[in-house]
Amino acid sequence: METPELEKTKKELYSETSLCYQCGKCSAGCPVVEEMDVYPHIVIHLTSLGMEEKVFKTETPWICASCYACAVKCPNDIEIPNIMTRLKQMALERGLKPKRNDIYKFHKTFTDDILRRGKVHEFRIMIEYNLRLGKPFKNAMLGPKMLMKNKLHFTPPKAVKGFRNWIKQISPKD
Amino acid sequence: MNKDEIAIYPGCSLETSSSHYLQSIKTVFGVLQIPFREIADWNCCGATSVKSVDQHLNLMLSHKNLALAEKQGIRELVVPCASCYFRLVGAEYELNNDEKLLEKLNNESDLPYKGQVKVRNILDFFVNVVGLDHISKYVKNPLNGLKVACYYGCLNTRVPIEKAFDTREYPMSMDEIVKALGGEVVDWSYKTDCCGASLFVTVNTIAEKLVGKVLKDAGLRGVDCVAVSCPMCQTNLDTKQDSIRKKYPVEYPLPVAFITQLMGVAFGCSPADLGFKKNFVPLGSIYKTRSLKNS
Repeated sequence: METPELEKTKKELYSETSLCYQCGKCSAGCPVVEEMDVYPHIVIHLTSLGMEEKVFKTETPWICASCYACAVKCPNDIEIPNIMTRLKQMALERGLKPKRNDIYKFHKTFTDDILRRGKVHEFRIMIEYNLRLGKPFKNAMLGPKMLMKNKLHFTPPKAVKGFRNWIKQISPKD
Repeated sequence: MNKDEIAIYPGCSLETSSSHYLQSIKTVFGVLQIPFREIADWNCCGATSVKSVDQHLNLMLSHKNLALAEKQGIRELVVPCASCYFRLVGAEYELNNDEKLLEKLNNESDLPYKGQVKVRNILDFFVNVVGLDHISKYVKNPLNGLKVACYYGCLNTRVPIEKAFDTREYPMSMDEIVKALGGEVVDWSYKTDCCGASLFVTVNTIAEKLVGKVLKDAGLRGVDCVAVSCPMCQTNLDTKQDSIRKKYPVEYPLPVAFITQLMGVAFGCSPADLGFKKNFVPLGSIYKTRSLKNS
């Protein structure tokens, strides 16, 4: 069962991606294309055909670094990273497991941390991300180096005044 | 420009991992006689993470920052971090062009936004508000031929075209600043190529490959240092050069300086006031380059 919100997102996605004439400039200029399992222009094509289900099975939207190199080159001004973002959202809203759970978990850890104080605590994010990933020693060489340079702080930043109340205010009420 | 209406939005990383950026900004503002003011009670912009998880929250975070700035009488919000800038200027653009959206968001929060804040990139601010003439007036120790590769990264210039302050694929504003300081800039191919951003943490093999390409090209041009204006770019380019140089043919260790650190050097400020200690590849070496020694 699809919500009206999702219906709207889908319509917008189809109309924006239908502008694509498959020149492939986005894929040619993508700095991380070698790491993707499906080329960005194919993702756009599949989306315009309403075959987003196929896209949900690819890693491409998760690998996208959101650098907008593609959007700058697109002759039809399609904001491809925004499409990738919406595709990720749609997959999550449908309860699908992200194809690159490792990358999703980082974004989720980061977001959850913002919700605590309104600012991020980089040290905690690094630790918590590793724990959620079940890889406690990921980037382990980097931590001590960063701590030595005082680039990571053990203590969290001061909470933003009124932030938690604001969060309650803006959260959707069921 | 009314100086009372200008404030900085520092963003999270300028308080911790890139506090040397904020420190050098404060020092440079002091020299240029621009009052340093921070927007009060700001919150995180959401970076590239929140938008991947919760788009509503993503927009609301920027809405709140803009509304706060407006309430505090700020009309020019100067943003040093490329990622924060991209988020905030994107929100400014979206909210100014979509009345319905603005109304919807205003109804959700008790901090309404009326659309009176201009979000400015710090490079835009230096070149188009402060002015290159004003900057060159304060140069005491010209960079005398210090060869610099200006690296903009992705998000400084890839904003909605109506909001762009520079060419999106081959920007020159940072180069203009370096030239005003007496430095020499190079034409190179990786000016606006991606450093990998958060892939540095999640899939660092990808990020290392991207950083390797950037450093290799800069090295081949024989530069003395790379200048950046984004804390993420600085961290990615600077932190792991040891291991990156083992895998990719990067000529030699390259100091990665914030543009404000280079400005400080030219203004005659001390390394301590510019936070040199926090750079991994020692920045002191730029004082030792032949060209500067002979000056």
